[in-house]
Amino acid sequence: MAVLEVDRLVKRFGDVLAVDDLSFTVREGEIFGFLGGNGAGKTTTLRMVLDIIRPTSGTITVLGGSPDRRQAAAIGFLPEERGLYSGMSAIETIVYFGRLKNMDAGLARSRGMDLLTRFDLADRAKSDIGDMSKGMAQKVQLATALVNDPELLMLDEPFSGLDPVNQGLLENEILRASERGAAVIFSTHVMQHAERLCDRLLLLRKGRKRFEGTLDEARAQLPISLTAVAKSDLSSLRGVARADAGEPAGDGWREWKVALEPGVSPASVLEHCTANGIGLRRWDERRATLHDIFVELVGGEGVQR
Amino acid sequence: MTNILLVAKREIRQILAMKSFWLTLLILPVALALGPILAESLGDEDATPVAMIDRSGSGAGEALQQRFAEDDDRNTLRELSRYVQRYDLESADPQAVWTQHDRWYTATDIAAFRTSGGVDGAIAKIDAVRPDGTPEFEADPPLYEFVPAPPALASQSAQGFGAAAQDLFDSDADDAPEIVVLIGEDYPAVPAIGLYSANQPRASFVAAMQETLTGDLRTRLLAERGILAADAAAIQSAVPAISVNTPPPGDGAREALLVRSIVPLALAYILMMSLMLSGSWMLQGSVEERSNKLLESLLACIKPEELMYGKLLGGLSVGLLMIAVWAGCAAVAAYATQGVIADMIRPALEPVSSPGAILTILYFFVAGYIGISMIFVAIGAMVDSMSEAQGYLMPVLLAILLPITFLLQAILAGREGWIVQVLTWVPLWTPFAVLARLGMGIETWVLVGTGALLAATIALELIFLGRLFRASLLATGQKPTLGRMLERLRARPQ
Repeated sequence: MAVLEVDRLVKRFGDVLAVDDLSFTVREGEIFGFLGGNGAGKTTTLRMVLDIIRPTSGTITVLGGSPDRRQAAAIGFLPEERGLYSGMSAIETIVYFGRLKNMDAGLARSRGMDLLTRFDLADRAKSDIGDMSKGMAQKVQLATALVNDPELLMLDEPFSGLDPVNQGLLENEILRASERGAAVIFSTHVMQHAERLCDRLLLLRKGRKRFEGTLDEARAQLPISLTAVAKSDLSSLRGVARADAGEPAGDGWREWKVALEPGVSPASVLEHCTANGIGLRRWDERRATLHDIFVELVGGEGVQR
Repeated sequence: MTNILLVAKREIRQILAMKSFWLTLLILPVALALGPILAESLGDEDATPVAMIDRSGSGAGEALQQRFAEDDDRNTLRELSRYVQRYDLESADPQAVWTQHDRWYTATDIAAFRTSGGVDGAIAKIDAVRPDGTPEFEADPPLYEFVPAPPALASQSAQGFGAAAQDLFDSDADDAPEIVVLIGEDYPAVPAIGLYSANQPRASFVAAMQETLTGDLRTRLLAERGILAADAAAIQSAVPAISVNTPPPGDGAREALLVRSIVPLALAYILMMSLMLSGSWMLQGSVEERSNKLLESLLACIKPEELMYGKLLGGLSVGLLMIAVWAGCAAVAAYATQGVIADMIRPALEPVSSPGAILTILYFFVAGYIGISMIFVAIGAMVDSMSEAQGYLMPVLLAILLPITFLLQAILAGREGWIVQVLTWVPLWTPFAVLARLGMGIETWVLVGTGALLAATIALELIFLGRLFRASLLATGQKPTLGRMLERLRARPQ
């Protein structure tokens, strides 16, 4: 079942087109990666889903209805820019946000304590946010997003500023939310997390969708590249789009950088070589990474592996 | 509505957690309690010591001392008369001069007062009929106390007298007089009188001295011209019988106006104080939300309008809480001092105790709070730091406070000139002006008109400053230039 449906969404700020004809769907239990460089329109889209800002045109259907604060009870949101009231304790902060999401104070408190225990912060429950480290405060903020067991969890650049241990903790929480059936959308420009977690991806460039699909589908967007060492010229082989001669490898052998035609499998080319007596000393296949796809479709600016 | 209450509750808790809140909450009652004590301790109630050196043997010095004693007794009689009139205690002695409030007391009246036991005799009679709770009469101390002249000064020749008197004033001796009057040995043939004073003498002292000695000189001159001494004295002592018809204490137009305006002026002042304080706390809260970057988390759960209304409600609640505490302190003080304060408070509360007046006060108080707090909240939404906020706050505070200072002074002086009228009709100052003018009396149509204008202004404020608030919330790092502010005032929800 679709938890979020975005259809032909457009958002203009004056002359600036921030989101351009964007459509996608996120289903329950799905982890959906929202990838794009700075200014791609990720945060603007998430803000429109939350009804913080309104679209210029297009429709958004969240949990079966139009975006509205009444749906806050079923949504969890972690913004890119994070901060909390420094004078409030960790548990009071979680209860406050739980209450803003229509939760009963007692339930918000018990769920808050469960989350703090899971995040190894139970003993700091009554500490003021101002007295906590930045990492601790970020975990409290994550707890404010999770306290209502949201059906739709939206995380805007959730890994930024987290140490490796807390990044692992966050990954676990994303997987946990997905396992209980929540739709999770997270925006990032760290490809490693997206590769590891996402069921489906959406790549944005200047507000416009460049790709939507699974990681395998994304990889299929780029031809498989090979590195082979052979004596004969490989560029004339069937299924080879291009073969660039590299460094000589001695005794007449030469390294070749081979690009296959879309849809051609490396195995069929290898089989052809074997069948036709084309000698090979090395045959390395390299599938495109998400980073390669991102650079190809979106551009390399601001991307991290 | 729940979200508004949640935001308001958080605002209240945040402000109540501030030390500055508790300090300011307690400062006003403590200052008001200490004020009278300090005023009493600072007040110079000691009689001024005067040394009279009469070398003439003419009795002029004695006459002067009698004159000042007579003035003191007249003053005591007047105070006694006002006290008796204020507390309806004429039954203590209906024939006594101090129960006659219709004349300026003559020497005969003073003599009768002295004969009947003076102030002690009067107090004894009053105590016999004074109801419980009525404060005791306390006579003002005399203005002057005649002390013996130090022998060194008394024997000083006329030539070095001035320097000797100055040395005496400079000596800071406890028993040193502050005024020395020297009547030379040739008086009245040479009517030169020396007046030496450590400080500028009161005009009333010099006038009384001149009047007494002039009378003495004229009596002597009349006698020299063959008029019998008794006739001459009678001529000098002839005075008109001045009948006095003044309103009872607290009933004079000016005095009554002041009494009636005490509570309304205090209301206007308290509104101003609590607004400035809770406004700055609200501003601090808004700035914290922006600088700590938690607005987006909040706006994912609640509407900007709910955040704004919650803040306003929180600020209003804190303001009303402060006023309730201050009013409670005043009530405790009134209860503890019962008769004295209660007697003063009764006429002071009269203009603000009718249901209509109470409704008027509540309306203008709450409306004033919302109208002005809205400005603070809008400033808080535009700036990223408190230092940036100060830049906007100062002009706003000056625009509110300076005219109110003039307004309060005008009301105290009993004036309702064009400035007061303008301030009444400009919504920024309407709540203060209306509250302050309640004691003077304000026409119903003015109340209705200004109330409606204020309501319309608040509605416009909620629309336009609401837009500014909403549009500024997520615009961190953008300098709120005039052009940008105007753009945000026009901006509809994006």
